[in-house]
Amino acid sequence: MSDEEMTIRFEDEIGQFKPSLEVEEIGEAIVKSDLTDMSDIMMELLKRMKE
Amino acid sequence: MDQTERIRRVSNSFYNEGLRRAQRRDLTGAVQYLKKCLNLNKYHIDARNLLGLIYYEMGEVSEALVQWVISMNLKDRDNRADFYLEQIQRKQERLEQVSQVIRRYNQALFQAKSGSDDLAVLQLTRVVEANPRFVKAHLLLALLYITHEDYTKAGKSLYKVLKIDKNNPTASWYMAIVKARTGKAEIERRKIKNAFSHRQMQDDDVIIPPSYKENTGLQSVLNIGAGLLLGAAVIFFLVMPAKLKEVNNAHTQELLQYNEQLNQKNEEIGSLNDRMAEYENTANEAQSQLDSLLNSSDNAAGQYAILVRMMDAYENDNLTEAVTLYAGFDASLLTDPQVQQIAASLSQEIETNGYQALEDLAYTMWSAGRMSEALTYYQTCLQIKPDSPNVIYNMGMIYRSQGETDRAVELFTQVVTQYADSEQAPRAREQLAQLVPENQQAAVPGQSILSQSESGAQESASGQAGQENPAGQDPQDEAAGQDTQEGGDSQDAQSRPEAGAVTGGEEDGIEAGQPAAAGTQEAPAADGA
Repeated sequence: MSDEEMTIRFEDEIGQFKPSLEVEEIGEAIVKSDLTDMSDIMMELLKRMKE
Repeated sequence: MDQTERIRRVSNSFYNEGLRRAQRRDLTGAVQYLKKCLNLNKYHIDARNLLGLIYYEMGEVSEALVQWVISMNLKDRDNRADFYLEQIQRKQERLEQVSQVIRRYNQALFQAKSGSDDLAVLQLTRVVEANPRFVKAHLLLALLYITHEDYTKAGKSLYKVLKIDKNNPTASWYMAIVKARTGKAEIERRKIKNAFSHRQMQDDDVIIPPSYKENTGLQSVLNIGAGLLLGAAVIFFLVMPAKLKEVNNAHTQELLQYNEQLNQKNEEIGSLNDRMAEYENTANEAQSQLDSLLNSSDNAAGQYAILVRMMDAYENDNLTEAVTLYAGFDASLLTDPQVQQIAASLSQEIETNGYQALEDLAYTMWSAGRMSEALTYYQTCLQIKPDSPNVIYNMGMIYRSQGETDRAVELFTQVVTQYADSEQAPRAREQLAQLVPENQQAAVPGQSILSQSESGAQESASGQAGQENPAGQDPQDEAAGQDTQEGGDSQDAQSRPEAGAVTGGEEDGIEAGQPAAAGTQEAPAADGA
């Protein structure tokens, strides 16, 4: 590792830490979660192609 | 449909890879693969449940709950997520604790971002205490420690993170920095270098231990000697005490056993002695009962025995013994009529012939000075023939000679009163006169009788009475005269049978005190003669 890699910039590092999801926010997180998968995308593409 | 199947297979392969990484505790890598799996197939329930489980393992409980709730929404039956939710979400107390831990972490993150590092460290310390598997809290804490150049504490936090998530990239990077700062990186590098510095050995290589030295002969002898000494010391200090103790214990046990046996034997001996004493007592009692039965003349057996002995003595002309036995014989106890008849004839014979022999024997004993035996025989005579004034008189004389004046007076009185007409009555009167002074005769039971009999004798006396005790003569004077006549030897003379007036013993050479030849009896020529 280079010296630059061996140095930690606190501000950069602390910025990468995100708040943990709190229990009260679980319901909202479930609602907002994106459950679209590859099958949905394919179906959407096929639908558009038909149109 | 072919594309859908292909997508499903690819998602499965991602799930499998994620599962393998999770099994190797590469949780970060597993999360990446599981997310890819779910992006391809959102209905992959196992992948979603595993993703929630990994979040839970890394302390992200809320993220885990989100995945499990979605999983339950997609498949509400036969779903493992139901169990997970049961464990966490539906237990209010545990959920409250989880919520508090997350809230504190967020506060600590806010404090760290706002420059309050110390407060953040305190808050994070409490968070990791409450949930030791909270990876993000450990990482943030390690970052704060590294910032404050507290690499040791940072290393401890990172070590815990790497135990949970082996390939966590952030933790690995932080750990590399910590090792570099603390010098551990250099040490590890050397170890790795040494590990790969060995070369393959050749056939002719010789390994020589660094401490190896060739022994000389003297060293060998010394080594052997030292070994022997060491062995002897071990035996003396370790083996011998143990052996000695073992032997002592064995001897002690043996001694205790012997003592116990000895005590038992002593108890047995004691009990046997007690039983023997009991048996001896029983035997003595039986013997005494038997003796009493055999010797007692109060029973039929005793009477039969006396009868036999009496017959034997009579047949052997031993009249003395026969008469002696006859004194204790009671024919009424015999039951056999024939034996009673024999006993009656024998009794008649003994009373006729034996009595006189017994009286003669008593007189002989008296003459020989054997007073007690003479008394015994006279007693027997009285038992056979109670009406014998001569016997009573002689007994009185014997008692007088033995100093038993009262007894003598009693017997003399009996002769005087009961047998006043007998030949012995006057002599008994004389004896009474000598023994009892006149002024004391009133106190003597036989005094009045003596006077009456004396007067009676005077009235009805024949010449015989007058010869021995002349009328008008005071008994005391008579006694005095007799004493004078006997030359003051009255006491001594009375210790032997009186030389009676009948035979005039003094003239016959018999000393005073010899038995009186009362009645038909003549004075013996033996003893003092």
